[in-house]
Amino acid sequence: MPWYTRFIAAFVVALASFAGAAEPDTADFDDPSDPVAGKNHWAFRPLERRQPHASTNGVNWSKTAIDQFVIAQLEQKGLRPVPDATHVDLVRRVWFQLTGLPPNQNDISEFLSDDRPDAFERVVDRLLASPHFGEWWGRHWLDLARYADSNGLDENFLFREAWRYRNWVFSTVNAGQPLDRFVLEQVAGDLLPFESVDQRDRQRIAAGFLVIGPKVLLGNNPQNQRMEVADELIDTIGRTVLGQTLGCARCHDHKFDPVPTADYYALAGIFASTHVMETRYMLGQQRPMERLAGLGTDGENADDAYELYWRQQPQVAEKKSQAEKVLETIKQGKTEELTALVATNAAAIAEGARATDDPDRSLDQRIAAQTAFIAEIATTLANPPPIPPRGMIPTDIDQPADEHIRVAGQFDKLGERVPRGFLAVLCDDPRIAIPEKQSGRIALGEWLMDRKHRTGQVAARVLSNRVWHHLTGSGIVRTVDNFGRTGEPPSHPELLDHLAQKLIDSEWSLKSLVREIASSRTFALSSNYDADNYAIDPDNRSCWRANRRRLDPESTRDAILQASDQLDLSPMDSSVWYLGDQATAVGPNTVRRRTDFRCRSVYLPVIRNDLPDLFEAFDFANPQCATGARPNTTAPGQALFMLNDDMVMDASDATARRILADTASVSSDTTDVRVERMFQLILNGEANDDLRQSMRRFLLQTEERLKSESHPQPEHRALAIACHALFASSRFQYLE
Amino acid sequence: MRCHDFVPRSTRRAMLRNTACGFGQLALTAMLARESYAAPDMKAGSDLWQQPHFPPRAKRIIFLFMWGGPSHVDIFDPKPRLNEDDGKPISPETVGGEKPVLGNALGSPFKFAQHGEGGVRISELFPQLAQQADKLCVIRSMHTEGNAHGEALLRLHTGQANLVRPSIGAWLSYGLGSENENLPAYITISPPRGHGGVQNYGSAFLPAIHQGTAIGSAETPIAQARVSHIGNSRIDHNQQRAQLDLIQSLNRQHLTATTTDRGIEGLIANYELAYRMQTTIPQVMNIEQETRETQELYGVGIAPTDNFGRQCLLARKFAEAGVRYIQVSTDYTWDHHKKVKEGLIEESAKVDRPIAGLLTDLERRGLLDETLVVWGSEFGRTPMVENGDGRNHHPKAFTMWMAGGGVRGGFTFGSTDDFGYRPVENPVHMHDLHATLLYAMGIDHQRLTYRHAGRDFRLTDVHGNVVHQIWA
Repeated sequence: MPWYTRFIAAFVVALASFAGAAEPDTADFDDPSDPVAGKNHWAFRPLERRQPHASTNGVNWSKTAIDQFVIAQLEQKGLRPVPDATHVDLVRRVWFQLTGLPPNQNDISEFLSDDRPDAFERVVDRLLASPHFGEWWGRHWLDLARYADSNGLDENFLFREAWRYRNWVFSTVNAGQPLDRFVLEQVAGDLLPFESVDQRDRQRIAAGFLVIGPKVLLGNNPQNQRMEVADELIDTIGRTVLGQTLGCARCHDHKFDPVPTADYYALAGIFASTHVMETRYMLGQQRPMERLAGLGTDGENADDAYELYWRQQPQVAEKKSQAEKVLETIKQGKTEELTALVATNAAAIAEGARATDDPDRSLDQRIAAQTAFIAEIATTLANPPPIPPRGMIPTDIDQPADEHIRVAGQFDKLGERVPRGFLAVLCDDPRIAIPEKQSGRIALGEWLMDRKHRTGQVAARVLSNRVWHHLTGSGIVRTVDNFGRTGEPPSHPELLDHLAQKLIDSEWSLKSLVREIASSRTFALSSNYDADNYAIDPDNRSCWRANRRRLDPESTRDAILQASDQLDLSPMDSSVWYLGDQATAVGPNTVRRRTDFRCRSVYLPVIRNDLPDLFEAFDFANPQCATGARPNTTAPGQALFMLNDDMVMDASDATARRILADTASVSSDTTDVRVERMFQLILNGEANDDLRQSMRRFLLQTEERLKSESHPQPEHRALAIACHALFASSRFQYLE
Repeated sequence: MRCHDFVPRSTRRAMLRNTACGFGQLALTAMLARESYAAPDMKAGSDLWQQPHFPPRAKRIIFLFMWGGPSHVDIFDPKPRLNEDDGKPISPETVGGEKPVLGNALGSPFKFAQHGEGGVRISELFPQLAQQADKLCVIRSMHTEGNAHGEALLRLHTGQANLVRPSIGAWLSYGLGSENENLPAYITISPPRGHGGVQNYGSAFLPAIHQGTAIGSAETPIAQARVSHIGNSRIDHNQQRAQLDLIQSLNRQHLTATTTDRGIEGLIANYELAYRMQTTIPQVMNIEQETRETQELYGVGIAPTDNFGRQCLLARKFAEAGVRYIQVSTDYTWDHHKKVKEGLIEESAKVDRPIAGLLTDLERRGLLDETLVVWGSEFGRTPMVENGDGRNHHPKAFTMWMAGGGVRGGFTFGSTDDFGYRPVENPVHMHDLHATLLYAMGIDHQRLTYRHAGRDFRLTDVHGNVVHQIWA
């Protein structure tokens, strides 16, 4: 009996004892990992076109096909959709969901005063065309791509060039690149044909997706490292594109899903035939590092020259120290020793300083020659060449090869060798042949998104569920990264297939799918409570209302800076250029990642193990693994951050100044006008009477108190404290 | 209250009155229950505090982490053979080394003696600790994987290196919660920022509330360390309370408007908890209130023990206040590739008195019985010489010790070969240590699991055996 069997048995028992969780009934399968039987699992079946069955009322309620699927289920379960969201709530919602940013006052008034029937669709189209759409939806992808500016794990080396991949994602999403191509370029961009150096570089940078994962760098057996890197890639791609936990099949046949170990190692052969690392000289040693390659026409040479400088740097430093010794010898006039040094260490002695040189030269002249020589070396040492433009770029190994199964996942226990290939459960044809001398990444990228194979259909389900998750706050399949038997089944299987089919029919257009969902009536529902519905469906699985959601940390910060008129909306390249090679150094670390930029939060440094405090507190994606759904936790660090963070307080000061300036000319009740302006700027909406009263009372009391303490600017200070409170309130932090 | 007073399946009121966890756990559980719609499986760990798997031997753990890897053969594991063979090659056959050449033996320059009734062997490097020898249960047969610090640190703290996993303190926080409603269950004093950094006290896939709360970092003197965002230099206390009242009234209006919303309810509770933490943490951290005698006991105000003394004193204060898992880390100062003799003299002088002081203080306050103190590092050092007078990393064998928390004092467990190269008797792997620490807290390491990405995870993965021989 293999060593792991006992564990798996215990695991199944533990699972079975799990209250309320979906339990895979393993008794149904003789062998859960059997790919033939596995084809019946809902996620692997071909897409089906089905018609929703709603009543006439339901059909009348519906605006789009999506709504018909939703209302059909609501009617069947005895639920009724709540009223539509107010326009003010809706405009805030759509702005944040499509761009991650709040609307400004003009945006809101424009929409509120537009009475054309398609006013909302126009807003949606406008936002889809905005460059901020790609930043925000690109950021969703970066969660899956475990994007980071450093390696993390044991040695947290800086990924100085990662930003190029980040910005490639943003611009590619903005350009509306079809998702099948988007995936292919990330899996195999370095291998694809190109028509210009620019195109070549863009595709190569896209393949940085493979290089950017975390790796154990020190003291790792190279063979083990190769298998670990392959594992990380299989796991990331499996989750991201197919919603499958393929990593489970590394040590044994998958215990729940139709993935035998042989399939895992068929994929492993592809990634083990890919270099994502290289040996480079850094911090005084040759080290296994992320693979870099030069960009631009002369990129390769520039990269070589740069690397050569650093490889030679220790020798040059040694030469300098030798030359300094020589100088001492000259100064002391030890001619014999000098002669000996010339014989053994000629390179460290300047011309004109050697004892054999012109005997008429004075000691001073010799000293001067040697001093100048040392100065020259010092200049070289002090002036390393600038880092050439480089990207994190993989490449195929010289001789791509199939991999052995590793018994129990141990890298040094070789089992049978399996031909490179893909998951049998998703291959109706016999294994797709991988051309000799290729790793197989192009074939993999094509297979993953091939709509004629079922893989493309599974991928379409997974990706459209991700879009639904981001737009509504909850997936049709809530376990967005797990469409296997241990995941949750879809709440609306027909709707999911409808969306997936739409995605494929639109030539894999993300923007079309976002437009489709955002234009539905379901998207525009209010988040209102309804006791009858709540009694039947407290988790809102059937979409009888909109899910109230907390803002992501990036949106929280952007909106705070936006309200205070401090946000710089232009894109940013690297935000880590000032960091040393160790992103979180051992020992005194005077240079740490900065967060004081005015850029959008999507450009802030993502240093593994040293995230910005805001990200850490508010459930940013863990950048060490693919994250389809960020956690949603409540922890005191969040409240402490909102109460005490300098950025929040600085922005509150600036917002207060802005309000004072905006309302300077008002002669009537200034407090009311200011409160009104405060709600506009911070909540993007109007206050109800209760809120206005609370705020007004607080302002007056605080001003009073500050005056009694002879504060120099009681009005501004009171307003700043009040703005701070509003940023900290649930109304700001939540989207209706 | 004794640590065996857990009342299984008690009523809410009885539990409030009787359990070791007390009110804080209720508050915490309430908080946790509010946590996440995305994590419907929160309940998995929450029965545990109510009905532990075993009678707990300790209520809390203080882990004294010597970052860098102190040399076991110079401190706790005397090897006369090493001195006899000083300068001679150690034969790989003798110790089962994989490499054809291991290197030459480096004898220890330090004198060892037996201490206390139990006769625990401790070198002259730790004279003050030696006086407490009968409290120590010394495990000489530790072993782990990871030849480099980063990997070994991650294995020590999380059990894994190539995958991101919750740290042991996070598991305990998840399993047991805090004993104090105003304090987190897991505090890490001066944690390393390198070699895995935050990951070493992270919560990984466990809810974020279980992540260790960091006080400063290893390279900063503890006297200057703060918990981030605890306290506000711009808004005075009264003003902040008034501001918080406004925030909460806005929140409550919002909650009323929504009728019911777990997210907003959680946010409201969260602000109150944060505000109390903001008061409690600085109070606990104020060591100036301690008597002069106590401060001196730890070596506070005295070079070179001031810094570690403050750290240990803080650890006691957090232990007293009900924190479950407290880690105290030295700076990265035990990595003696060169001049191991000088290095050890310097480093042991910084920690000997503070550690002895901690044990004394815990004992006289009646806390030692219920507090498990653990001393150790990511690995040991080679019996072979490196760079003429240093020692290299050695995960194959090293020493850790425990005190208090029901362990057998004055006891030495396990042994290594003649050179201290490999464990020969009762080897204890890092996974076994983890299983044992959970056991001490009443937890079965095989049953404390969390479901993530389609499977159940646990601290020890598929490994780990509890060491049963070390209990009194």
